Amino acid sequence: MSITNLAAKPRPPATAIDILNNDTARLYTHIHPILVLSLYAFQFRSIVADPVPALTSTLIPLSILQVAYVALCLPPTGTAVPTEKKKPGEKKKQAPGKLESGVNGKIIPAFLSLVLSALAATPLVTVTLILFGAPISTHHAHTVLCGAHLSLLAILPLVFVHGVDGQTWRETVALLLPIDEVYGGMIGTFLGAWLGAVPIPLDWDREWQKWPVTIVTGAYIGYVVGKLMGGTLLKGRKIMFD
Amino acid sequence: MDSGESLPSYEGIAAAFAKAKAKKEKDEAQGLKSTTADAAKANKQAEVHFKASHSILVAFFTWILFLHILGIYLFTSGFLLTRLVLEHKSECSVQPIDTARPYTVGSSEAGCWHPKTFEKAIVILVDALRYDFTTPFRPDGSEQPHHFHNAIPILYDTAVDHPNNAFLLPFIADPPTTTLQRLKGLTTGTLPTFIDAGSNFAGTAIDEDNLVAQLRNASKKLVHLGDDTWHALFPGYFEPNLTHAYDSFNVWDLHTVDNGVTEHIFPLMQPTNTSKWDVIFGHYLGVDHAGHRYGPDHPAMTAKLNQMNDIIRDMIDQLDDTTLLVVMGDHGMDAKGDHGGESDDEIQAALWMYSKQKRFGRSLPAYRTPPATAKERPVAQIDLVPTLSLLLGMPIPFNNLGKPIEEAFIGAKGEDYENLAIANRLTAAQIHRYQHEYALARGLDDSTRSLPLALWKSANDAWEALGKNEKGNRDQFKSIYSSFSAYQRETLSTCRALWARFDVPRMLNGVTILAFTLMILAFYARGLEGDRSELTPILLTRGGIGTILGAAVGLGSTFAIPSLPWEHITIVASAVGSVLGVSTGFWYIRRRLTSPLPTSIWGWVSVIFTIALSAGFAANSFTIWEDEILLHFLSTFGVLTAVSSLRQTNVTDRVLGCYHSVLFILLTRVASLSRLCREEQMPYCRSTYYASDTSSTSSPWQLAIPYAVALLLPIFIKAYYDGTLSYQGSAIMWLGFALRFGLLLSAAYWTLDAADDGDWWPGKGEMIKTTKIIIAQITLAIALAFGYSTFSWSKPLLNIVTNTKRSEKPSDQIVADGGNSSITILGYSNVHGSRYGLLITIWFLAISLVQKPMGFGAIGIATWQVFSLFEIMDTNKISDTSIGPVVLGLLGSFHFFKTGHQATLSTIQWETAFIPLRTIKYPWSPLLVALNTFGAQILCAVAVPTLVMWKQPPKKKGLLGDVAKAIATHLLFYAVINLATTMWAGHLRRHLMLYRIFCPRFLTGALVMLVIDVVCILVALMGARTSLLSVAEVFGWAKF
Repeated sequence: MSITNLAAKPRPPATAIDILNNDTARLYTHIHPILVLSLYAFQFRSIVADPVPALTSTLIPLSILQVAYVALCLPPTGTAVPTEKKKPGEKKKQAPGKLESGVNGKIIPAFLSLVLSALAATPLVTVTLILFGAPISTHHAHTVLCGAHLSLLAILPLVFVHGVDGQTWRETVALLLPIDEVYGGMIGTFLGAWLGAVPIPLDWDREWQKWPVTIVTGAYIGYVVGKLMGGTLLKGRKIMFD
Repeated sequence: MDSGESLPSYEGIAAAFAKAKAKKEKDEAQGLKSTTADAAKANKQAEVHFKASHSILVAFFTWILFLHILGIYLFTSGFLLTRLVLEHKSECSVQPIDTARPYTVGSSEAGCWHPKTFEKAIVILVDALRYDFTTPFRPDGSEQPHHFHNAIPILYDTAVDHPNNAFLLPFIADPPTTTLQRLKGLTTGTLPTFIDAGSNFAGTAIDEDNLVAQLRNASKKLVHLGDDTWHALFPGYFEPNLTHAYDSFNVWDLHTVDNGVTEHIFPLMQPTNTSKWDVIFGHYLGVDHAGHRYGPDHPAMTAKLNQMNDIIRDMIDQLDDTTLLVVMGDHGMDAKGDHGGESDDEIQAALWMYSKQKRFGRSLPAYRTPPATAKERPVAQIDLVPTLSLLLGMPIPFNNLGKPIEEAFIGAKGEDYENLAIANRLTAAQIHRYQHEYALARGLDDSTRSLPLALWKSANDAWEALGKNEKGNRDQFKSIYSSFSAYQRETLSTCRALWARFDVPRMLNGVTILAFTLMILAFYARGLEGDRSELTPILLTRGGIGTILGAAVGLGSTFAIPSLPWEHITIVASAVGSVLGVSTGFWYIRRRLTSPLPTSIWGWVSVIFTIALSAGFAANSFTIWEDEILLHFLSTFGVLTAVSSLRQTNVTDRVLGCYHSVLFILLTRVASLSRLCREEQMPYCRSTYYASDTSSTSSPWQLAIPYAVALLLPIFIKAYYDGTLSYQGSAIMWLGFALRFGLLLSAAYWTLDAADDGDWWPGKGEMIKTTKIIIAQITLAIALAFGYSTFSWSKPLLNIVTNTKRSEKPSDQIVADGGNSSITILGYSNVHGSRYGLLITIWFLAISLVQKPMGFGAIGIATWQVFSLFEIMDTNKISDTSIGPVVLGLLGSFHFFKTGHQATLSTIQWETAFIPLRTIKYPWSPLLVALNTFGAQILCAVAVPTLVMWKQPPKKKGLLGDVAKAIATHLLFYAVINLATTMWAGHLRRHLMLYRIFCPRFLTGALVMLVIDVVCILVALMGARTSLLSVAEVFGWAKF
């Protein structure tokens, strides 16, 4: 997969998402992956022991973390201002009533993205998992929960920053957007989940090889790596197929 | 680029040239044939040129095939284990060690080395008589008895009721558990080596010392009844007028062999006839065939075992006092009734001996009951050899490694340790003599067998301490017995290790040849710029000259130095010559060389898929789960093309691309539901290929699958033709009628087959059999005779209509025709793809006939996916990349598993040979089995040229070169897999799972590559020739 610098594209000049320009955002965006991984590491034993209840109960803290992350760090859909406009030294506009705009502009979109990713993305991801070889007649709860974790990790922040615009989502799926930490997180999650399938067949007879522990583990690690890479090294680059 | 090379690069001139050229091309395309005066001549020249280029391509790929054969041969000859066969024979008058007791050696009347116990013997081999068939079923919890339980109780009952007349023991086979191998083990007493496993189709005579030969040397009259494998092993050993052999390969026939044996064996047991023979070997096949056909858990198995039970009871009744009756299985069967591997169910057979005299005993009273499971007190199958030899007064065959069976020598009271010790001492001494000769012949020093030698010495010392003629007590003999049998056990395990003896230089050279051939293919397929058909001649010439020179040098050097192994040296030298020659060829065209490393995501994905799969074969787990890995990769490919389709700017391309990508993924997943699990996949896998895990017949609902395929698939394929209005001419006849009819016929075949299996219409069995064979033959005739004639003589799938209005359809080529009317050529935009595509459907029909109903569905899905793949390639404009041929390789490998196969010997569906034939006919029977086994890969290989032809303009330049490139890439995929599996098998040659996993995968990989090489040359390249010639006949020649 060759990645080159963003070349001039004729139509909608999609730009990389920057995190909000305040100290909380800059700080929390680094704490967030640590929290997510810690949460998973903390739950890992019980997930291995009994995946269904453990994965279900992990969903709640994961949702809280992800909602907090998008609300604190990311610009909600429609508000992302192209970075070019900000000139160095330009004064920031005075924000109206901080709490009110916080609830209206952040918390509600964050919860909307949570609902959308949980209800709309989870079934799609679950079907994809089955198409990739997940058990078709058994382990339904396992697979759905795996899909839910993937959706919360990968899709929730994307919905928050891009909304539900069809064209943008086509570009998202077509891997046409420039890479940023949200997009990188999504790609990382799915790549991680893909690679997570590798240890399943090995004859190591480990408890953690059972469905869907490795997939979810891969997704969490992939999410963190992808988010980190997307926010730093690869930021602004585009994925080229040819 | 012609213009770039032949013209000065002044822009103005180049532009003018391009304009003129474009006009010329447009003119040519408009009038179907150019109208210049010498056009016919030019066309003729172009055709000759094309045919020459094509022949050179054929020769080039044949040369590659030749190199593959050299590499595989060299590796195989060093890898598949060989045991040195010693020519020595044991002689009646030469004891292996000084006589133990005052006993005159050398009379086969009294017993050669040891007093004989029985005058005559009847040895009944019930093929695949598993041990748990013979013991009573003991419910384990709520488990219900299966059909194979409690159906042949006579063996167990006699052993319990008359322990001095009979005993029953588990009888453990050395894998591979194929009948031919087992017969060798049962008569020679040696360990098998892997290479013979494949020679079941045509057994070869045993030339090492064996029990049958010893009996014959002693002028015993031998009779054989049943399985004709015996005659391949022991030609001319049996009394010709009493012996009756039956074809062993018709596994669908449960009764002919058995009835034949029974019919002839009982008359021979009449007192008036007993003088005509000394030993009878009767080989019943019904149990084995019932297993292959229905699986063990089927009423047919109960019936068969009951029949065996009755036969054995009758034999007991008619047996005379001096005759020994032996009933045994040569191997077991797995849960589906197949065998060949080394699972417990396959190796655990039963052994039962019976005599009217009270000869047999047990060393402990508890042993009077036969073991409940085969894990307790098992004896090895090779133990039969010394046992029978001594009981019948024969010398023990020279190469024997087995030991006398305790029950047969311990005496009726279970006290005669002296006899047991003497028997074991004789056997051990013969083993010792054999080992000594073997070490001499192989040039081994004693260090490799120091432990057995020490055991031998201590056992012998104990014996010597006893002194000759002195009466030892029971415990002394008991301890001597156990020391000799310890020596035997240790020697056996040393031999098992020793005969895993590989010829490493040959293996290494074989791998090297394969690796270099792979590099040649890689550069040819992905590292050349420009038309392959122009570049091949120089490569072929140089490579070919190199091969011949190398072979000459190699042969010459072996004449000069005769101590060199000539065939090894010649092969290596010709391979080195080939590589050097072709390297000079590549050097000559070095300006056309580019890096074969990928540049686009598609190239990388191809490489990652291929390398990841190959690397995985180093681990037994990834080899076992290959089917799931392929599913994962194919789905990944589908997702990537869906993503790529969404990136397309053209909306039609985007929508079509997405649709076909999603379809491709869905079909892959649907096909993945057809599974035949290998044993190692248990318990995480459930077989769906047959009616149940313990069956090898289809369930009734599966019979609907062929009909669904027959009704739907022609419609779907037609849709791919309709898209470009290519459903014209021969396609209407072939796709619309013949293919449908052929598929319906083969669906009918499978229904009749099920009717025959299930005996739906009792009494009509023979009629059904005849009908279904005729139907199968007609189907094959439709596919290969009618189909190929259609394909050969068909015009391109075009139709010309004259319209008064101009058509708006984008796929039409519109030609101004003076006034208002216009001519529309229907099918113009996919003239190459639609024409060649017919060939895929021809092979689809032929392959689907030889697949069972579930596999029929899988092959149907594979065909559908192949056509979807063409559309994906076209809408994403990636037909030039390596991904198409590689995905076809993955798809073929995937459907190999979906058509009920695994990389194991036991999943070979031998019965396919009898679909259109009643008996084995060479070469057709092996070809049919190959078509069944590798059908999916063959189908995908046939489809390769279409990747570069689909929706290409009629006069596209360099199309033949593109076909060569695609075929080379496809071969490259299989060559990488083959090299990897070969390397891993060689590297892991001491691995515990070698014979179970790595060796079968290596054999599969090598066979697939050779089959695909041949199919690419004979079907794909030749088909491309036919197709391109017929298109050029209409449109004239572009420079191919």
